[in-house]
Amino acid sequence: MKRISRRASVARGSTAIATLLLLAGGISQAAADETTPVKGGTLIYATDREPTCLDPHVDGDMPQVFIAQQYTDSLVSQDKQGRIGPWLAKSWTISPDGKTYTFKLRDDVTFTNGEKFNSAALKANLDHIKNPATQSSTAGGYIQQYVNTETPDEFTAVVHLSKPYAAFLEVLAQGFLGIQAPAALARERNVNCESPIGSGPFKVVKWDRQSEIVLERNPDYNWAPPTADHQGPAYLDKIVWKIIPEPSVRYASLASGDVDVIEAVPPESEAEAEQNPDLKLIVADRPGNPTNGNINITRAPFDDIRVREAFIRSADIPAALDSVFFGRYHRAPGPLSAVTPFATADFQHLYDHDSERANKLLDEAGWTERDASGIRTKDGKKLTVHIPLGDFQGPADRSLWEQIQATAGEVGFDVQLESVGFSEWLDRDSRWDYDVIGAYWNTNTADVLRIVLSSEFIGAAGSGGYHQNGTGFKNAEFDATVAKALETQDEAPRRDLYYQAQKIVASNFLQLLTYPQSTRLGVYKTAHGVRLEPSLSVTTLYDAWVSK
Amino acid sequence: MSAGVLALPSGDGLRRIGQRVAIRALVGILVLLASATVTFFALKLTPGDPVRAVLGGPTANPSPETIAATIRELGLDRPLHVQYGLYLQRLVTGNLGISFSQRQPVVRVIAEQIGPTLQLTASALVVAWALALASVIGTTRRNRLLSALGSGLEAVAAALPQFWLALVLLAVFAFGLKWFPPQSRDGFADLVLPTLALAIPLAGFLAQVTRESLELALDQPFILSARTRGLSDLAVRLRHALRHAVLPGISLSAWAVGSLIGNAVLVEVIFSRQGLGRVLYQAVSRQDMPLTIGVTLVVTIVYILASTVADLLFVLVDPRIKAATR
Repeated sequence: MKRISRRASVARGSTAIATLLLLAGGISQAAADETTPVKGGTLIYATDREPTCLDPHVDGDMPQVFIAQQYTDSLVSQDKQGRIGPWLAKSWTISPDGKTYTFKLRDDVTFTNGEKFNSAALKANLDHIKNPATQSSTAGGYIQQYVNTETPDEFTAVVHLSKPYAAFLEVLAQGFLGIQAPAALARERNVNCESPIGSGPFKVVKWDRQSEIVLERNPDYNWAPPTADHQGPAYLDKIVWKIIPEPSVRYASLASGDVDVIEAVPPESEAEAEQNPDLKLIVADRPGNPTNGNINITRAPFDDIRVREAFIRSADIPAALDSVFFGRYHRAPGPLSAVTPFATADFQHLYDHDSERANKLLDEAGWTERDASGIRTKDGKKLTVHIPLGDFQGPADRSLWEQIQATAGEVGFDVQLESVGFSEWLDRDSRWDYDVIGAYWNTNTADVLRIVLSSEFIGAAGSGGYHQNGTGFKNAEFDATVAKALETQDEAPRRDLYYQAQKIVASNFLQLLTYPQSTRLGVYKTAHGVRLEPSLSVTTLYDAWVSK
Repeated sequence: MSAGVLALPSGDGLRRIGQRVAIRALVGILVLLASATVTFFALKLTPGDPVRAVLGGPTANPSPETIAATIRELGLDRPLHVQYGLYLQRLVTGNLGISFSQRQPVVRVIAEQIGPTLQLTASALVVAWALALASVIGTTRRNRLLSALGSGLEAVAAALPQFWLALVLLAVFAFGLKWFPPQSRDGFADLVLPTLALAIPLAGFLAQVTRESLELALDQPFILSARTRGLSDLAVRLRHALRHAVLPGISLSAWAVGSLIGNAVLVEVIFSRQGLGRVLYQAVSRQDMPLTIGVTLVVTIVYILASTVADLLFVLVDPRIKAATR
């Protein structure tokens, strides 16, 4: 309470000074914006969800990678164009068969516990992710091909894969595979969850559950990636990473300057934030498979492609997004969000709203009868679509599905939205007990198509323990295309293959695409230099500083 | 309450209170066992997949080896009766196990989160009683208008949903007037709005029952005799009538402690407060068996303690009960 009033008076004071300076006419607006970073100070960051474990190797949920980005470095970096650059690895060579990666590592990096980063540390990390006891959710899809690491000398690591995997460098650039201190990883998993140790610009000093995580600057940091704006230690002394689940409270805390940066700005507040001269928005799509409804093609009625297309054509997604998200969210262009390497928007019109065509397709498919309430029937069976909605899917997502339900109802679908708890939702998902189910997958590589749609990921017998392919799509041509794309590092053939893959996906009507996942930050005027790390559009506070 | 309300029990009375406490403790243990058992089987019967919930939910792609390792670690590969037996065995030794979802010992999770919840519950109970007594003593049988106003306000207060009240308080006093912080920080100021959100509806309930019995008490002959002895109206109300009037409110308070912890779920989420309510919500939705049972047991213990305290207060406030137990 005291702090609010002090902040308010400071704010008034600085506005008055800025006005005076402008009146004096000698100072340009740019200079008044304070562009020279100041060292020191605390930045208060507020997020909506608390990680369950701070070590990003365990589980694999988005809140973890946001915190990991502050305290770990990755082996390689990735820029906005998707190009891979050095980071903890200075350079690398890939064997002609694509199965052996030889990394030359930096020799000047230390973890914040004093351990040296070297080839043994890299080996410890890759082994840790692959180890079942780590309970890594990403290991199954991301480094399933990993076999082992040789360490011929202290700063050379030779990583062996069981088969060519062109997406390997891309996934290594993600914070989910951030590099941690071997001695810290050797501790019990749940201990490492709480006090992980990396070589990043900040270190985790305290985790007060359901309240905040405190990070402090790593004074020795001198190995920033080429994507960063500066070199050397971070500017901030300290970051307080607060957990504020209620969106309106989070936004009010930002608007009052009580926190400097918030994540997940509520869509209803975005227009207001743009009008507010104290605030700035940073919005970016995340790479990967956008938010969608996976259509279960393994059972009726969606085993018929005409019914799938009719369902997708019946939904007016742009209109639904406009009304639910106040015009702030845009429709996903295809099975890859626009910022994913090799994404194309060439097939987006296949998904356009067209109820006339939807009706025609349903007639063709034999769903010609209608019951008293306008639901189509065939052989006395109703055209029912079961969609489980988990309690973790917020009210906005629920409204979105209600709009889809309404427009699909117009052409004769009986859409049943079934509310279930988190673990029941997971259970329905794993038993294929749905016709459509909500999904998304954030990752920085087009190889995500293989994880969410190839036959390799349909059953527990494949790479994953649970099916990640939520559609049941089993198509030899598609499987071959995405597998072939992993065999070469050359951009042109990869682009061509992923183009083919996206074409196959679009023309099979497998997912009802809604909006790309996005990172939406609100920044108060006291915070500067807040950026998104390009590989996953995750916040990085390395270049950030505060003026207060 | 003024000191005159409380009559200190004699030595004999203390022994009787001791017996009551012993019986209470025994019943309490049975209630705990029942509560643990019901929670265990209720969670087992709930459809769901705790393993996948632990492994990161929908966007998780654990390898089959990871899943097998997790199932073994959580003991979910054992037959149900073995799981139940092991669980009871651990419980008796005070080992509540490791939370699946929080990845730390349940005892530690509870120890970290119980403070803020008890603080909130206690302050809500105190404020609720203060508001209720102020309204009842201030308005009952004053004049028709004041009486009607008081009772009307109490009815409205009792009907207010806590989460709605929390949002209104936030909108007015945190977002609008900026008197209080919108989210939890260290200090006293952040306790005010969540306390009021919980206390106002409870005050309505307490006041409604207290008002009714105060009206009855004020009709009693001993009130008339007190008045004829020349006591002031306020003194009559405080020293004589109130003693009778608060009894149903005291019983209600034991129930209120349980319901306050329940309602704390929403209030803790809205105000981003730490606490058992939020933990319990997450634990249930992730089918985190050890944590759900741990929190349930703690809430049960708090409830048992509260009703024991209410029982004792009853004896202290109303000596007639003590006489009846002789």
